[in-house]
Amino acid sequence: MAIELLGAWLVPGLGHWLLGERARAGAFAAIVYASFGLGLAHDGAVALHNPQQPVLSALQLVANVGVGLPDLAARWAVYGELAYRLPRDPARPAYRERLQILRQRARSGVSSYGTAYLWTAGLMNLLLLFDVWDGRRERGGRS
Amino acid sequence: MKSHLLHLLLYATLVSAFFGLWLRRGPRAQLQRGAWIWVAMVGGTLALAAAMYPFPR
Repeated sequence: MAIELLGAWLVPGLGHWLLGERARAGAFAAIVYASFGLGLAHDGAVALHNPQQPVLSALQLVANVGVGLPDLAARWAVYGELAYRLPRDPARPAYRERLQILRQRARSGVSSYGTAYLWTAGLMNLLLLFDVWDGRRERGGRS
Repeated sequence: MKSHLLHLLLYATLVSAFFGLWLRRGPRAQLQRGAWIWVAMVGGTLALAAAMYPFPR
């Protein structure tokens, strides 16, 4: 079961594919990738954990990371590295660089739409994990 | 794309398709549930917008 769950998280649709539900896998993958692509195209915020807003930023990070491997690509494309947190010390160059990138994307005028699409993609993929879990249990798999 | 309405329609379509597939088995049941969610999202939003119309900022 762990393989299916890990695959389902990393690659949207893969969990259902491994369970033999090829049509549903394709449909779920298309929906999640469409939402993710719309999010990036609309300059959605790729969340960073902010020590000044620990709970809220952590929830945003979970929603982003929920989409799996595509989130890695998004972070690489947006920040040029796999950035997950805003440094605590504002004097650090990384703090200013990452904050500037976030603000630049927010100024685009459509960023709030993009952020909603990105969060939705991640949260939908996390919901799919429950479906894969149930599907595996129905087939008599062990946890 | 900056149109609120188009984003509403697009977002409702994605979400309703997802939940239709996620919550139901069989194409007919999935389509019915997806359509119901789409109408609830779009209709609910437009109804709320209409209710707020007399109270501009």
